[in-house]
Amino acid sequence: MTVIFVLVLFSYSQIAFCAALIFQSVSKATCWHGDLCPLPAHHTQLISPYVPYMQAEKVLLEMQDPKKGVKSQPQRLVITTIPHAITGKHKHKHTHTNTLLNSCSGFLSSEARSFGSMLVALGYIYPLQDHKRLVIKPDASLYRFQTPYFWPTQQWPVEDTDYAIYLAKRNIRKKGILELHEQEQYNRLHKWMNHKWDFIVMQAKEQYRAAKERKKPDRVVFDCQERAYWVVHRPPPGTVSAMDYGLDRRVDPNANEVTVGLQTLLFAEMKRLFSSNMIRSDMIFHFSCRLVKYCATYNSHDPFLSKCLPSNPWLTDDVTYWTLNMPNVEIPTKMRVERWTFSFGELLSDPRGRDDFRLFLKKEFSGENLAFWEGCEDLKWGTAVTMREKAEQIYKTFLARGAPRWINIDGKTMEITVSGLRHPHRYVLDAAQTHIYMLMKKVSKHTRRFVKDKLPHDALNDLEQNARNRRPSLSPIILRQQELEQRAKMAASAPVDITQLCRFTTPVSHLAVYSGFTDSPSANASPSLPFVAPTPVCPSPISVALDSNSASERRAEAGEGEAERNPEARAPAGGNVLKSRMALSLRRLLKRGCSPSTMFASLSPKGQAAAGTSRIQPLCPDQPSQAPPRRTGNFFQIKVDIPPECRIYPIESEDEEEENRASSRGGVGAKEIICPWESLTPQNGTG
Amino acid sequence: MPLVNNKVGDDCTLSTDKTLADGKTLVDSLIKVVACYRNLASCVGGCTDSLQLRDDLRQTREKAQKLAVSTCQHLTSHLRDKSLPQEQRRELELLWVAFSSSLELLHVDMCKVFSMGDIFCLANTTALVQTGLQGGGSEVAARALSLPDLNQAQTPADGLENQERSAMEKEISQIDHMIDDMEMKVNVLRWMVEPHGPQYAEPLSSTDSASLALLTVDEEQPGHQPLCQRSRIFVFLLLFAVVLVAATLSVCVVFFS
Repeated sequence: MTVIFVLVLFSYSQIAFCAALIFQSVSKATCWHGDLCPLPAHHTQLISPYVPYMQAEKVLLEMQDPKKGVKSQPQRLVITTIPHAITGKHKHKHTHTNTLLNSCSGFLSSEARSFGSMLVALGYIYPLQDHKRLVIKPDASLYRFQTPYFWPTQQWPVEDTDYAIYLAKRNIRKKGILELHEQEQYNRLHKWMNHKWDFIVMQAKEQYRAAKERKKPDRVVFDCQERAYWVVHRPPPGTVSAMDYGLDRRVDPNANEVTVGLQTLLFAEMKRLFSSNMIRSDMIFHFSCRLVKYCATYNSHDPFLSKCLPSNPWLTDDVTYWTLNMPNVEIPTKMRVERWTFSFGELLSDPRGRDDFRLFLKKEFSGENLAFWEGCEDLKWGTAVTMREKAEQIYKTFLARGAPRWINIDGKTMEITVSGLRHPHRYVLDAAQTHIYMLMKKVSKHTRRFVKDKLPHDALNDLEQNARNRRPSLSPIILRQQELEQRAKMAASAPVDITQLCRFTTPVSHLAVYSGFTDSPSANASPSLPFVAPTPVCPSPISVALDSNSASERRAEAGEGEAERNPEARAPAGGNVLKSRMALSLRRLLKRGCSPSTMFASLSPKGQAAAGTSRIQPLCPDQPSQAPPRRTGNFFQIKVDIPPECRIYPIESEDEEEENRASSRGGVGAKEIICPWESLTPQNGTG
Repeated sequence: MPLVNNKVGDDCTLSTDKTLADGKTLVDSLIKVVACYRNLASCVGGCTDSLQLRDDLRQTREKAQKLAVSTCQHLTSHLRDKSLPQEQRRELELLWVAFSSSLELLHVDMCKVFSMGDIFCLANTTALVQTGLQGGGSEVAARALSLPDLNQAQTPADGLENQERSAMEKEISQIDHMIDDMEMKVNVLRWMVEPHGPQYAEPLSSTDSASLALLTVDEEQPGHQPLCQRSRIFVFLLLFAVVLVAATLSVCVVFFS
């Protein structure tokens, strides 16, 4: 009885002693990550994400206990036996019955198996028989503990030099034993570490000789250890490696158990920026302010940083979130709309936002801007084969004089663009695109109501509504087809903005009107648009230049009876013509007070057809039947093709008379929009 | 194994050749000692870890330090000599690269031994990892120290571990400074250095086929292991039976003839 009592006491004391030992080793194991080894200062302080090194080491040391640990058996090889081989079964049993460590308590055998696999995958234990597959098998296959020198820790990165030495050693032992991927690595290392190669070969030889000093069983063990180490750290291609942890991080994920917050990340990033000597401190301040602002704005919209409603589809397998945020959804969610308010770029990049913006611009009669912008994007991102046609198309639709959807850009930009279009490349329309982008941005900024209209519903209503309307989600192919169809539809039935139509039908003399005209109806409709205001007063320089050009030309060839001739311009001469004409047109405009309805009413299908025909007219400029020959001085040539019945005069009678006169006088010959670079060839060296 | 003195051009009277030869000798010995140190260091924390091993490590380390200091002085002084002819300079730069690489290896190994020595205290042997090694590293240490006889090795000093630790720390920082100083004093463009040797090292000897055999057995399929044994026993039994039959037959022949 007393003997049993003594034995029990003894076992308890042993347990206590072991616990103390393990506690000590654990506290020492934490030193692995400290600054015990004085590394040179130039080592970077990047931290790898969480790999359970410390826990694994704890359990591993625990397993060495001869009484409580894993039982080992000798491994029998041909000529010798090597001790300390353990089997998978024993290991499972060990982790199952282990009660000393809390982390291991309550392990089921499947958990034990996965824990064992983790140990093998990390390289703490290596298999003896199937050394390339780092898994633990529950049968009698043998494993051995890896020596601590080869344990994986974050402190000592795995060096390529060592790998080269290892491969050279293997080659020394037997030539041609290297596998294909090892061979490739060897060649690559030879190329990149060529200056060290003598050293590597010599070191490999010396290490080989030093290892030969040992007895045979020890040599086998050494070779197995090293081989296992390199299987873990330089895995054969196609295998999953536990060492593959992704990117290094700035913030240590092991530092605190709580998930690292946004603030910590920000601070870490800013600290890094400030400590870097390469950037000026005022720029750092600027960057950090912008970074903070960006993070604060997008914090609630990032599904990684904040919860995504209703649920993250990747986690819960519930695709509501995606159906709610489809590109063609009828009612966008509140978060999405809120995102549009962040910046104009956000609005444009979201297809739903862009649709809404398109509708809005249509109401404001500036839809051509967005269409032009989209055309430019198409040019930029499209294939090189289609670039030329696209550029021509865009020019004819948006940029040329008398184009159906003429956009309002300043003269310098227009000059640059048109001169660039002579040799069109991907970014030829960049300047114009930027100008239009800024315009649209201003519009969207000033008209808050565009966005406010979208924000009344709260998210719940949206969700419920969409839940009611739920359909099975469309595949991306169908979505893409829909997109293309929509685009084709839009291109085919492009709304010929009424403003353009007016200009299109009236002769060139009213060019001054056009620049202002574009904006005036919209000015009448919504006086809040700021970019509208300046233009009626000072028309675009390009039109002025053109007018002066055409005016001078007409003066020069007064007697030729050209269709383009402005009858008014004939009589007066000089620059006064321009101003007076402009004033006249302006007066006429303001008197007119055209309302959108009249304009729309006058928009007949024939007019559309005319516009259509003019646009799709082929770019064969030289038609011998043309009555008016081209003049050398004219950079632009615009021929207006107006069948009499299509003439639309939403203007007062005086204008009508003038136009009638003009049409009667001129009115012959096919007039079409010719791109300047095309027309240059028949002409003799224009500007 | 005695130190092989592979001097090039012993009879050559040119001092530069001697310089080169000396440098090469020093660097070769340093490489050898570093290799031995690495071999010994991989036993730390394992079941063969003992005071003897730690002492071997210490002696090897000290020898490496001495060699490193002398090599550093030799190479630095000669490389800073502006009047060195171009070929000699190239050779010396090659030696320099080898020297700095071995210093880096030594530094890493020393750091590892230092931190592992902390964790794996020799006081309790139960926490040492059972790595399957059986022998000590005395032969390797002997090779490193270039001593023909094991007995000439010093007896393990019962030095205090703390003293050892502080000495080690000092030596690590010394190596660190040496590396930094080297970079400061001599500017060797590593991409200009061209090695002489072949890409593949020639196999040293064929007497290693035995351990090779061990490993190839290791790489066989695991299922074959028990089968092999069984088949071997079967073969032995068969052989024995055949021998027995032959013996009885011969006895019968003798008996009946």
